[in-house]
Amino acid sequence: MSVERESSRMLPSIPAGPGLISAVLRLLAFVDDLPKGATGVLRFGESGVILLESRKICWAVARCMRLRLTDILRNQSTPPLPREAVEEIYRRCKIDGMPIGEALVLSGLVTEAGLRVALFKHNGEAIAHLAGTGLSPDAFVTHGRTGYDPKFSFSPCEVLAMLGSLDDPARALAAQIELTNTLVPDSFGVAFVRGNSVSGALLIAVDRGCDLPVGDLVEVCNWVAGLFDVAHTFDPEASLVRATWGGHLALVSWRAKEIVYVGLCASRAAAARLVSRLETSAKSSGVIAAAARYGGPA
Amino acid sequence: MRALGQTLGVGGDSSPLDLVCASASMRTGALLEQALPEPVRERLEGLAATLPDLFGTLDPTCLDRIAERLGGEPGDATFTEILLLSDKSLHVIQPFAGQPGVALVAECPASTSIGLVLSAIRSRVMDSEGR
Repeated sequence: MSVERESSRMLPSIPAGPGLISAVLRLLAFVDDLPKGATGVLRFGESGVILLESRKICWAVARCMRLRLTDILRNQSTPPLPREAVEEIYRRCKIDGMPIGEALVLSGLVTEAGLRVALFKHNGEAIAHLAGTGLSPDAFVTHGRTGYDPKFSFSPCEVLAMLGSLDDPARALAAQIELTNTLVPDSFGVAFVRGNSVSGALLIAVDRGCDLPVGDLVEVCNWVAGLFDVAHTFDPEASLVRATWGGHLALVSWRAKEIVYVGLCASRAAAARLVSRLETSAKSSGVIAAAARYGGPA
Repeated sequence: MRALGQTLGVGGDSSPLDLVCASASMRTGALLEQALPEPVRERLEGLAATLPDLFGTLDPTCLDRIAERLGGEPGDATFTEILLLSDKSLHVIQPFAGQPGVALVAECPASTSIGLVLSAIRSRVMDSEGR
């Protein structure tokens, strides 16, 4: 299982309330609205910055943050990484300009997976703090290249889902695993719940191929939620949906307990494979048995 | 052109599909055929009533942007078929290409082959549109 336990790491200093999620959504929508290859620094006055590479978030920092990346990295290990070793690498990075996280991976002190989790946590916390200030970005300064490894960068929808996962990290991890195990090539997906903390869909997991603008993702999830709501009036057990559009594109949605999953497929074949894969997981995940019958011409 | 609201069989198959279908307004959610048998009406009314909520509530530009990310062509941002499955039933909605604002709604037991049902529905839609 290659799923990193990103969702299971709490950010205790961030209360994932409705106001915060809305503010984060606004901030991330701003990132989505930048040109596709946007690389540079998004400045929030004196409050902080977000570094972007190809519109993906590779580093964020807010002035009022309590935790530093090195603290997060040190405390991810048991026993914690020796402070002296980390500080030595930090000093070298200041001289040669290499990002600290990547230098730690090269040193063997931290794994790539561990670094990704730590960066996710750090950047998520920074973005939540920046959103919480209510400030809009006051400038975007374009750079040729930030020097960050794409492996350690995050799409806006990944960040949104990470913050949504804070309500129930174990549930979010289960959703992440379900997405990883179920989605097929030529598809990407998202999981959401109807949260108490937000009106509408609360995104709790996305797969890493998903780079939809957060506004569109939330809109689709809200539509799916509404679809299951209205379907409840004539078939309360309806648990699987397939909607096709644009000739060959398809949306497949299924629900298991309180979690609703949405897979967006680039072809009818991908949609057929996705539903076929649900057949395998039907027995264990609670997806309706009807999915197992799906097949034939589509 | 056959009347829509009847139980369908498939050619050569001696057992009927137990598939009922009728046309409905996507704007009002009303079934458009007056002479539907009551059992058919009962099976389809609920599904038809959801049409205004399912169509027209999702921003077409949003579907366009998703299509673009999926490698599709923007510009055809309307669902052409929606299937809903449960352990009990299969429901299908298929807007008529030639009659804007009108869709075929259909329902059959979940035990029916979905491929067979879709073939029958598509054939019925083409038949109804005189194609």
